[in-house]
Amino acid sequence: MFEMLNALFSGFYQVFAWSTFSLMCVGIVVGFIVGILPGLGGPTAMALMLPFIFKMSAVEAFAFLLGMTAVTATTGDITSVLFGVPGEPTTASTIVDGHAMAKKGEAGRALGAVLTSSLVGALFAAFALAAAIPIIRPLVLTFGSPEFFMLAFLGITFVASLSGEAQLKGIISGGLGLMLATIGLDPISGIQRYTFGQLFLWDGIGLVPVTIGFYAIPETIELAVLGTSIAQQDVGRLGGVMEGVKDTFRHWWLVIRCSALGTFTAIIPGMGAATTQWLAYAHAVQSSPNKERFGKGAVEGVLGPGAANNSTLGGSLITTIAFGVPASVIMAILLGAFIIQGIVPGPDMLLPPPKGKLDLTFSFVWVIIISNIITVAACFLFLKPLAKITQVRGSLIIPCILLLIYLGAFAEKNAFEDMIVVLFFGALGWIMEKLEWPRPPILLGLVLGPLAENRLFLSSDNYGAAWLWRPGVLIILMLILAGILYPIIKERRQKRQGEASAPVREPRKIQPRLNGAVLFSLSIVVMVALALWRSRDFGFRAGLFPWTIGFPVLALAIVQLGSDLLGYGKRRAHAAVGEMGPKTSPELAYRRTLAIIGWIMGFFGAIWLLGFLLAVPATMILYLKLAKEKWPITLTMALITWALFYGLFDYALHVPFPEGQLFVWLK
Amino acid sequence: MRTPTLMDSNELKGSRVKRITGLVVLSLYFFILLFFAAPASAQEQFYKGKTVRIVVGFAAGGGFDTYSRTIARRLGNHTPGNPTVIVENMTGAGSLIAANHVFKVAKPDGLTIGHFIGGLFLGQVLGQKGVEFDARRFEYIGAPVKDHVVCAFTKASGITSIEKWVASKTPVKMGGVAPGASTPDNATRILKEALGLPIQLVSGYKGTSDIRLASESGELAGGCWGWDSISATWRKSLESGDALVVVQAAPKAHPDLPKVPLAINLAKTDEARHLIDVGIHADSEIVRTYTLPPATPKDRVQILRRAFFETLRDPEFLAEAKKANLGVDPIHGEEAEKRIAALFKLDSTLVAKLKDILYR
Repeated sequence: MFEMLNALFSGFYQVFAWSTFSLMCVGIVVGFIVGILPGLGGPTAMALMLPFIFKMSAVEAFAFLLGMTAVTATTGDITSVLFGVPGEPTTASTIVDGHAMAKKGEAGRALGAVLTSSLVGALFAAFALAAAIPIIRPLVLTFGSPEFFMLAFLGITFVASLSGEAQLKGIISGGLGLMLATIGLDPISGIQRYTFGQLFLWDGIGLVPVTIGFYAIPETIELAVLGTSIAQQDVGRLGGVMEGVKDTFRHWWLVIRCSALGTFTAIIPGMGAATTQWLAYAHAVQSSPNKERFGKGAVEGVLGPGAANNSTLGGSLITTIAFGVPASVIMAILLGAFIIQGIVPGPDMLLPPPKGKLDLTFSFVWVIIISNIITVAACFLFLKPLAKITQVRGSLIIPCILLLIYLGAFAEKNAFEDMIVVLFFGALGWIMEKLEWPRPPILLGLVLGPLAENRLFLSSDNYGAAWLWRPGVLIILMLILAGILYPIIKERRQKRQGEASAPVREPRKIQPRLNGAVLFSLSIVVMVALALWRSRDFGFRAGLFPWTIGFPVLALAIVQLGSDLLGYGKRRAHAAVGEMGPKTSPELAYRRTLAIIGWIMGFFGAIWLLGFLLAVPATMILYLKLAKEKWPITLTMALITWALFYGLFDYALHVPFPEGQLFVWLK
Repeated sequence: MRTPTLMDSNELKGSRVKRITGLVVLSLYFFILLFFAAPASAQEQFYKGKTVRIVVGFAAGGGFDTYSRTIARRLGNHTPGNPTVIVENMTGAGSLIAANHVFKVAKPDGLTIGHFIGGLFLGQVLGQKGVEFDARRFEYIGAPVKDHVVCAFTKASGITSIEKWVASKTPVKMGGVAPGASTPDNATRILKEALGLPIQLVSGYKGTSDIRLASESGELAGGCWGWDSISATWRKSLESGDALVVVQAAPKAHPDLPKVPLAINLAKTDEARHLIDVGIHADSEIVRTYTLPPATPKDRVQILRRAFFETLRDPEFLAEAKKANLGVDPIHGEEAEKRIAALFKLDSTLVAKLKDILYR
């Protein structure tokens, strides 16, 4: 015990050595920028920084790298809230309610909430990491593929709570997400599923382009149609930063639960913050008494993911340290850093010196704590001006968001095709928003699908059917059942209590009709049917997952189509965000919609034709001039974005931007 | 264009100062220098101020990327004209996208170097889908290292020697990542076929570290992949005897593993030996090959080959490689080319057999 405490303090002192501390601050600054910019992710930044650590000592190296990593999830949230474009893949879920809050004029509150919950999440994870040290190895070693599968399955059942009031639509969406997850090379038999001969689809569809398309594109369209700033209202102090800080303490237990969820789920290899954020979001919705507020700017929807995506780092670090098994890409790179420093991750990392390197492990804990405190403190200094961005007029913001959209889509994998994925899911997301289909279940299905399928086959290959009787499996199964049954029982009880006072329902009129909703449901039916048809020659192993998902989804989609046709599910008088702010006449809205769609496609066309380097300033100038901005402001903005873009992404980072097609022809 | 004018002016200067004997010597010295420098200067001119890109088929932070970045930091210093060398990650389809890019799109000007997984060459021979290159037309720079495939098991699995393995009554569970992956999948499948070992390959793990974890938790017995990786990440268990290397699939024993039997010596038939040689040994040699687009000018191929091998001998590079646990055991371009050309001359029964083993 005494040795443990000794290591704890020794770790603390080591972090505060002058050189270590200053390197950590450099790391924080880098991580700060990386987090804010979409398309420049933590893993890339870490890989680029790896060469610098050859000459550092172990504590210095990890202070530098961890300081950098620890803050990306925090500052990535800022971009998500302000622009509706995920700053990091791990901050996508913050958009759903965070950006909705920004539109309500509560950007400050959302940022305050997300930063404070991030800090709580990070601190929780650090303490969990420290406390878990004695029990990590036995705990993780009792987990095999069957337990991993059950946990993924548990995550999938969260779809129900993400669906809000549109349960049927939500479950179909979740199923579609799982179907989308099967795109690519099947990992077990190597068969190509739904790749249409496209190599870029071999690895499946990325979470980042789908999220950008789903949220950023519909938001941009709305912004342009309303012709306002991002914040459509000014709510004064209520939307302020301090309010968000208070929110964290108002929902203290939610924040703690989501922090725990992030940390403990992340111990499982393959469960990074890209997944845990959605689980936390689903949990925030599930545990709230009034679910209908979510997606429209509920602060709990910001607090949950805010805490979880930061607390995940602690959990991932546990598996990396104790087993040398990287739980995420970032951890894989960190593992490389371990090796460079001549450290072998494993049980030794958990033993006090002189036998082990517990002091180093504790220094990680301290780095996470200190770097998060510094970052959040620094962010609070800038929060007011940052929140002001949401009050800048739309015409200045839109071209910047468009740039972030395409840059974020392209630079994650340096794949041109990902920009097409963005456009496709942008259109889909826009339609889904209009027709009130929930979008988060698709994303949850997309992140959990591969994990569930893989681990299911690994379980049955390793254990036959015997895996079903493993104690861990049964315990998780009970958790799943409880999660499903508890809300149903609760609802029944509430219904029975409220029965006496409930007003008599008016019988609905059944009115057959044909509209957008019908067409969309029909196209889902057709798409799923086609997908099933194509899967007929996948063979059993590659086909099992698409079939088990596909047939129920097809059946449910037909039910949905029927109910749309008959006019069930009357349109609710929804308090959609679109109805806030200044009213625009339908005719003007129609014209503006066409115009912004033109710009979105046009920007893409320009990138294709001219390449990024020319398309960015050209589109910027054209847009600003047509929006009747003055020349000085137009040129200044074009110059600043171009310089930032060229200097950082092209010159410093060597992102391989594709050459414009025009120049290819001219050659 | 600059060097010729300089040359002219030097010559003129030389003739003007003939009277001063001291300078005659100096000008002669210049002449000699220019005379010897001339053949190199054409190339020096070419790479001077240029940027060489290494297109890596895998994401930043992985093994292919780490090798490339470590090499890129020194390669410029060893190339005449000291070009800037940068690394670009073009990920996707197990680096097949990068391979196709280097073949079809990249300009053959000696400024683009490709680095993708060498298993794709055998993939082409076996008719792998999506291959749009012809391995016989690439130019090869060489590879920094050969893989050295070994099979390691936990002590708890009971497979502590090759004899125990052969005698196992039940199939031994071994981890894989995906069909067609050089290691662990291809190597394991070939050993199973060639040596008739009792193996149940369970494929679908995310990577070798996942396989290691599954072995430690008792889900798997072990797996076969590169010794560099196993020795670094499983070192503690190997030292304590909780994990053991039972067989190695390489032409020669690794200096770290003098007593571990070679798979090829355990093979009983010519066909089995041939399978191991082509499917594992050859693949291990070319797995980390650096390539150039077809029709890259021969002189530039030679310059880059020379620079590449000088880099691999650079003490500073070696120090960094050692720290990052990157093994260095170079394969020359000609050698790699020969190994790859040989893949296209395999007889059709062996090709059919390999196809059956690897993709069934």
